[in-house]
Amino acid sequence: MTLLKSWDRVLADVQSRTEYQNYVTAWESKIRSMLTFDLNRDRFGAQDGPLANIPFAVKDNIAVRDFNLTCGSRILENLVSPYTATAVERLQAAGARVVGKTNLDEFGMGSSTDNSALAQTNNPWNVNAVPGGSSGGSAAAVAAGLVPFALGSDTGGSVRQPAAFCGCFGLKPTYGTVSRFGLVAYASSLEVIGVLSRGVDTLETVYDIIAGRDDRDQSSVARPQNSPARGTARVGILRQIAELSPAIDAAYRETIEKVKSLGVEIVEIDIPALEYVVPAYYTIATAEASANLARYTGIRYGHRTSDDSSMEQMVAASRNEGFGDEVKLRILLGTYVLRSGFQDQYYIRAQKIRTAIRNGFDAAFGQVDLMLTPVFPTQAFLRGEGELTPFQQKLADKFTAAANLAGIPALTVPIGVTDGLPTAMQLLAPDFAEHRMFDFARRMGVDMAAMTPDGFDEGWRK
Amino acid sequence: MYQSFIGLEIHIHLLTRTKAFCGCTAEFGAPPNTHVCPVCLGYPGVLPAVNEEAMKMSYMVAKALNCELSPKCYFDRKNYFYPDMTKNYQISQFHDPVGRNGYFDVEVDGEIKRVRIHDVHLEEDAGKMIHSGRTSLLDYNRAGTSLLEIVTEPDLVTGKDAEAFIREFRRMVRHLGVCDGNMEEGSLRCDANVSINLKGQGLGTKTEVKNLNSARFVRKALEYEIKRQGRVLGKGEKVIQETRLWDSDNNVTASMRTKEKAHDYRYFPEPDMPPFCPDDAFMSEVVSRVVELPLVKKQRYLNGLQLSVDAAEFLVEDRLFCDLFEETCALGGDAKQISNWLCGDVQGQLKRAEVALTDSHITAARLNELVKLVDSGVLQRGKAKEVLELVIAEDKDPSAVVREKGFEQVQDDSQLDGWVSEAIDKNPQAVEQILAGNTKTISFLVGQVMRFSKGKADPKKVTDKLSQALGL
Repeated sequence: MTLLKSWDRVLADVQSRTEYQNYVTAWESKIRSMLTFDLNRDRFGAQDGPLANIPFAVKDNIAVRDFNLTCGSRILENLVSPYTATAVERLQAAGARVVGKTNLDEFGMGSSTDNSALAQTNNPWNVNAVPGGSSGGSAAAVAAGLVPFALGSDTGGSVRQPAAFCGCFGLKPTYGTVSRFGLVAYASSLEVIGVLSRGVDTLETVYDIIAGRDDRDQSSVARPQNSPARGTARVGILRQIAELSPAIDAAYRETIEKVKSLGVEIVEIDIPALEYVVPAYYTIATAEASANLARYTGIRYGHRTSDDSSMEQMVAASRNEGFGDEVKLRILLGTYVLRSGFQDQYYIRAQKIRTAIRNGFDAAFGQVDLMLTPVFPTQAFLRGEGELTPFQQKLADKFTAAANLAGIPALTVPIGVTDGLPTAMQLLAPDFAEHRMFDFARRMGVDMAAMTPDGFDEGWRK
Repeated sequence: MYQSFIGLEIHIHLLTRTKAFCGCTAEFGAPPNTHVCPVCLGYPGVLPAVNEEAMKMSYMVAKALNCELSPKCYFDRKNYFYPDMTKNYQISQFHDPVGRNGYFDVEVDGEIKRVRIHDVHLEEDAGKMIHSGRTSLLDYNRAGTSLLEIVTEPDLVTGKDAEAFIREFRRMVRHLGVCDGNMEEGSLRCDANVSINLKGQGLGTKTEVKNLNSARFVRKALEYEIKRQGRVLGKGEKVIQETRLWDSDNNVTASMRTKEKAHDYRYFPEPDMPPFCPDDAFMSEVVSRVVELPLVKKQRYLNGLQLSVDAAEFLVEDRLFCDLFEETCALGGDAKQISNWLCGDVQGQLKRAEVALTDSHITAARLNELVKLVDSGVLQRGKAKEVLELVIAEDKDPSAVVREKGFEQVQDDSQLDGWVSEAIDKNPQAVEQILAGNTKTISFLVGQVMRFSKGKADPKKVTDKLSQALGL
């Protein structure tokens, strides 16, 4: 039975709904992946369609009418969305039902979901470990078997890194193929709505439904008539890869051998500009964020301070009370890099690096069909001692953020379990070659049955 | 001894049906916050989608201003916080606007002055903030409506130049149909930058004058400001670069207290919208919609059609009058005569009836008919007014009105001759006086004939016949 087929009866009657509710409640007491779980709230799903009655979860920075849209922030804690994102609408039109809104780092800013102001989400494999971020709630919910798939958003790795930490597939589509209408903007030119699932087939089905031009997002693009070839004969790896944790290093070497054993040629590739991924990414992302987050003032919606001594004070205090530290840091950084007289040094230079990275990938894909890299230099990290500092976490975005700067699609593929936590690798492809990655991931033959955290159960829905 | 330099920043509200970046209606006057949606309210997650009609109108204005038109124009974000801005950045154009490096010709005292245009760019308007006591109220109906900004080079010299520019510009946008040009209601707004300096020393330190909601105020404020700056420099002091507000009650400009120093708007490219690249179909529509501009039209009316200055001025003030005029001429009438009708009786009747030309039932065909009826003597000039009134009030053709009212003049010679003989026969005394040389008395006989005919005889024809009969 396919993954989706095993889910299409869970909303059918009171008994199955109760079993579903019980399974989720048991997990949620340990992992708290969702800010809302409600089997009855979505009144917009079509009666039939390829995803009829399939439940799914949506990261809480993607708008779903009648659901909260907190973005993991105090400033939007009480906001109920008056409209629905295009990607969600397309899934609803295919019959799927939103059952939950998942936790995230505030406005998508972070790699652990610990930057959520509203809840702490734990990794289903080890509750002392973070689920990754910023789509940590979506990854944890999928990995624990609470939904067959979930939507996330990926600005610098926010779908792929938590997918790697929790042991599921995570797709970051080509920039513009999935409408951003309804995705709360953090860094508009980098981000895209992505999908997390334990099955490649499900990922593919969902992607095919949500992708496509949307008039409400003028940066969206139609997929080309002639899609890129699906086959893979050559896979590129980066010549210089350093500072991987032992577990990830081992998984990386193992994967290269695995790829070779499939009769695929491994080619070493140099993209020197990748050295500057992290500074370029943080310059562009924070610049855009400084404008994107300016709308939250408490005037029209969201948190408003009690301090209304003046107009300016009301706005400043509402923002000060409503935003967390990481968000404030990024707004300040973004404001700094956009100052007049400093743009050449920061913003424009970052755009040049971005172009160089894009050119580097274009050249690489002249030689190979896919690229293979780690997702993150470590497995999911534990809270407390040995935790990565916020700065280390940012440096570790280099493998994922490269795809956002280049706009190309990328996929997290689970590899195995080491010391009780998943390992994963990343595939990167040229624009619109999502299906090439899906096919190759299937060829890699990941044993998902062996990738289940304790407490994972499918029996209740059979 | 001083030289003055004036540059204008003009904002016009484009007459698009919907707002610049969302589907909300752009209509004015609705109850507060009823023409709003998640996009123009700046809700989380929404995206702008550019209104193509707004782009067309923007390119039309840029074309009419002889600008270089951008083959690929970009939007930028202009960042600043103000409660009437829903996103706290304004979508505008900074690096690659719709048009730049243009010029616009203006007539001042019969001379043509060419004013260079720096650029033309599209942006979104903010909402409205209404202050009352300690509270401020916000109405976002206007938020996100399309606003086109036109920036001139400092090529204007006097307040009079600036007034003429504004008037000509307003006429132009009305002819293009892109703005109603109403300055009182703010659909055309103008700020002026002005500086003075000793001759040959280039631009001085400028002040920006705001709150200019009529063309006359533009002139008066600038004349005041030029004098004020002259007095400042005359005292050996320096002009402070600042924003000043025109106070039309006291006819002075006053310094506006500014809280912030120079703004840093941190412009950067709007990532939510791809660059706009007009295609051939778009451009040919733009070109076809840029009609003959009022100043050119006026020259043609004066020099080509020999209209009077007053008539030409009157006509080009309103595109609809121009259209009616030209359509009527095309039916074969005399241009001068038609123009006189339009700026005389037609205009007067419309004013009296408080009816707009578009609602007046006056068409080129009807106007042509009316002129012909008078010309051919069928209708007395004096009665024509009444006919026009009924055309407007009852939506009827002039000929039908004339028939119904029995306004046709009697043209039949035998009938006229009969009345003429009768008048001569019945008034021997008058005839005697006339024959004795008192020719003025003939008007008495004409009056008698008119009475017999119940006013339907053509007085001119009657006079001729009387003179002939009496051998004058």
